[in-house]
Amino acid sequence: MQKTFVVIPRNCTGCRTCELACSMIKGTEGVFARSRINIYKVGDERYMQMTCLQCVEAACVKVCPTEALVRNELTGAIEVDEERCVGCGLCEPACPFGHMHFELNEGVPVKCDLCGGDPTCVKFCPHGALEMK
Amino acid sequence: MGIANRKELEARRKALHKANENVKTHVRVCSGTGCAALGAFEVYDALVKESKKAGLPVQVELEPCGKEKDPLFVSLTGCQGFCQIGPLVHILPDDILYTGVKVSAVKDIVEKTLAGGQVVEKLLYKNPEDKKRLKGRADIPFYKGQELVALEGCGSVAADSLDSYVASGGFSSLAKALKMDPDQVISEVEKSGLRGRGGGGFPTGRKWRSCVSAEGDERFVICNGDEGDPGAFMDCCIMEGDPYRVIEGMIICAHAVGSSTGFIYVRHEYPRAVERLSLAVKTCEENGLLGKKILGSDLDFDISVARGGGAFVCGESTALMRSIEGSVGEPRAKYVRSVQRGFRDKPTVLNNVETFACVPSIINEGSDWFTSRGTEKSPGTKAFCLVGKVVNTGLIEVPMGTSLRDVVFGMGGGIIDGRPFKAVQTGGPSGGCLGEDHLDLPVDFDALAKAGSMMGSGGMIVMDDRTCMVDVAKYFLKFLMEESCGKCVPCREGVYQLHAMLDKLSRGEGEPQDLEKIQRLGKEIQVSSLCGLGKSAPNPVLSTLKNFREEYEAHVNDKRCPAGVCRDITTFTIDPDKCTGCLVCKKACPPDAISGEKKQVHIIDQDKCTQCGACRLVCKFDAVVTN
Amino acid sequence: MYIYIDGKKISAKDGESILEVANRNEIYIPTLCHHEALDDVGACRVCMVEITHKDWGGWRNLVTACLYPVEEGLVISTSSEAVRRSRGTTLDLLMARCPTSDVIRWMAEENGEISVRYEQIDDGSKCIMCSLCVRACERMGCNAIGTVGRGHDKKIAPPFFENPENCIGCGACAAICPTGHIEVNDTRTTREIWDKKFNFVACEGCGEPVLTEEYRDYAIANRDLPADYYTTCSACKKKKLASHFDKVGS
Repeated sequence: MQKTFVVIPRNCTGCRTCELACSMIKGTEGVFARSRINIYKVGDERYMQMTCLQCVEAACVKVCPTEALVRNELTGAIEVDEERCVGCGLCEPACPFGHMHFELNEGVPVKCDLCGGDPTCVKFCPHGALEMK
Repeated sequence: MGIANRKELEARRKALHKANENVKTHVRVCSGTGCAALGAFEVYDALVKESKKAGLPVQVELEPCGKEKDPLFVSLTGCQGFCQIGPLVHILPDDILYTGVKVSAVKDIVEKTLAGGQVVEKLLYKNPEDKKRLKGRADIPFYKGQELVALEGCGSVAADSLDSYVASGGFSSLAKALKMDPDQVISEVEKSGLRGRGGGGFPTGRKWRSCVSAEGDERFVICNGDEGDPGAFMDCCIMEGDPYRVIEGMIICAHAVGSSTGFIYVRHEYPRAVERLSLAVKTCEENGLLGKKILGSDLDFDISVARGGGAFVCGESTALMRSIEGSVGEPRAKYVRSVQRGFRDKPTVLNNVETFACVPSIINEGSDWFTSRGTEKSPGTKAFCLVGKVVNTGLIEVPMGTSLRDVVFGMGGGIIDGRPFKAVQTGGPSGGCLGEDHLDLPVDFDALAKAGSMMGSGGMIVMDDRTCMVDVAKYFLKFLMEESCGKCVPCREGVYQLHAMLDKLSRGEGEPQDLEKIQRLGKEIQVSSLCGLGKSAPNPVLSTLKNFREEYEAHVNDKRCPAGVCRDITTFTIDPDKCTGCLVCKKACPPDAISGEKKQVHIIDQDKCTQCGACRLVCKFDAVVTN
Repeated sequence: MYIYIDGKKISAKDGESILEVANRNEIYIPTLCHHEALDDVGACRVCMVEITHKDWGGWRNLVTACLYPVEEGLVISTSSEAVRRSRGTTLDLLMARCPTSDVIRWMAEENGEISVRYEQIDDGSKCIMCSLCVRACERMGCNAIGTVGRGHDKKIAPPFFENPENCIGCGACAAICPTGHIEVNDTRTTREIWDKKFNFVACEGCGEPVLTEEYRDYAIANRDLPADYYTTCSACKKKKLASHFDKVGS
């Protein structure tokens, strides 16, 4: 059975360990802004973990001219096939939720791929605010 | 009047043939490029006008029911071959060939020959050997040993007249082919051993057969008239001089491979070829020889004339197809052949103009007739353009296997001013240079390839001892460097580097290891390039390096150009023993570098001399010498 | 069918190229002008491999792996002496053409031969004429740039070397360029590429650049998504969504 990425905002303390873990494992050298999961403060002591929703009818997939965004049937994640991407960058503004990141000098977009089904952020969350179930 | 079926064609030919027989005198004015440039069209107009004025029964078109009795038929034909001495006027049946005819001489021709039946001596060809005037083609050495197959109608039929072509037997081959099974037609072409005349020498019959066996719902026939080799004009002459023969060959091919659409790709720089072919296609359409149900058979076939923009690489088959499709003319890799996936990714037969021009004769006369000339592996004849430092330049057609010596010294009449022969360059820019030891080489596809050159489309550039082989190689590489499509690295960058190294050599800056480097790079370009242009681009330098290595070594080791061509390393001096003090070189020298009085030895001021070589060119006593 | 790459027996499908099979089996063949999503052209000649077959009587040939279709029993060598020589010459020539390109230098080092033997052309250009940019632009449906001229002077440029009318400033050409030859100058509000200046759509929330105006119009016209998708930057979108989720949750 395919697992689902679940966020539990009430457990989140805004410690941003998930962001750190993500930006380390995904090779963006700890730059939080390039993390594929982000924590937003939404009120007093209230936080919201934001990451790709892996939409069923995804806008990013729809706009890609080269079919470089492909769903991994095992994990359910939409993954970037870097070999097929021409770097037009349209997936970033196309995403209505802001979960695609594209920098021209990197040439390919960055997005959450659920780390192949075993997300690092889940493993590192010290408060049980992220789960795969 | 249309030609709906074979019967009507036969009837029309009989009528025209009769009309042709009734003609008492044929006056054929050559309108090949050379003659046209020298005023052949004006000569033609003047001939018609003067003859009419003289009351002669002039006719400019074949008329089956003409009013004139014993008419005089004046026509403009394609190239008659002897471009060196044009404009040519050939008068039959007496076989009188007038050369260098100017408008001012027309009156003489009309009065003395056409009306009076006499020969105008001063217009005849003068044999340079014994200064004797020779009357007709049968006597002139240039025409001896030639055998016309592809050029059969070129120079005899009126170039823009379907009637003239039909009268000479035109389209009878098509009629015969349409009676045959397509498979039979291909077998006949296979048996003839006809090989592609565009340069590759691929067996035409085999090409047609593989096109038939390729999968596809549509097939195309393309004629490659994008002749771009410097010094080659065979295809131009055929397209201008006998366009209907090319069309007939294409229709036969369409019948054989089952095609309904054809293209003739002609370079834009051949305006007259474009004009005449377009006219011929239109005339054929009007007469039912193109279009639906040709000659009453089930064959539907249309031809469009496509103009090329003049890129040399568009003569390469795949680039040519891209160009007709409307894309940039760049070649693609031929791992899948064009006969399987060519024009619009459909099976396509692409043959050269001359190849198609050979087809009607093969079908008409049979494959045995064709194989009875030429060599075993290269049957038939081949048209060549003889140019360069040869006495008789022009268009010739000889049986395959004729020796280079016969071509250069027989038809060509030897080297200008009796200078020593040095080399002959065959195969266009990517061909090779063959020296004196190859003079007895029989000219055919395999012998030339074995000697390190190639047949190419049939250009032959003759060089004398004052031609520097390094300079020649540099010239051709420059041409190829500019004409490379620039798609693949070895051709685009490699040929550039080869040229740069040769340039270094010609400036006297070559280093001993350069020759090795040139050779190595040349070989890598040959194996690594994408298309035929790149694969053969190093040929001019590799073949000259092989056959004239000592000349390269002189450039590198002695910093000397033995032929006295490479300016930077050449000094011109006057041999005091030979100089007669005639002042000719002094007058010819552009920068006034030569001093000396009449009957005194002249001296070249080396500070002023620009090494242009003008003095050497004009000196009749070989007194100007180089280091 | 089965083919042999460097002595390994590998299964392959009809219609595949040698490169496809090699890539699938993680056998490295260097390339410069190949891209998975674009048609191969065989221009760079770096993916050269040597092929032979037991039925060919010892005949061998150098072909480009990206274009050559596999056939039963094909024997392929990806690094024979002939392959290294051909590849070495090609890279040597490219190093002479673009002496400042690191990518070419690295690839040449990897091939085991670095010696710039040829006359260097140091005009600052890193363009190796692989035409990836042209093909990417074609794929976007813009055809704003193409190859101009031929031979050694061939260039990648917009038509008539003028501001490319069809360019939407997406930057795919620059992103795909293997040597980093194509220049893009971005400020907070503008982008300049191929000498054409574009204005960025500013994020409704924070004013950060989202995409060029032309690119937005192109996207609205050619991709079936609402126009208001292109008005906000990712960060603002996320922020908005986060508070929305918060409201829904509580």
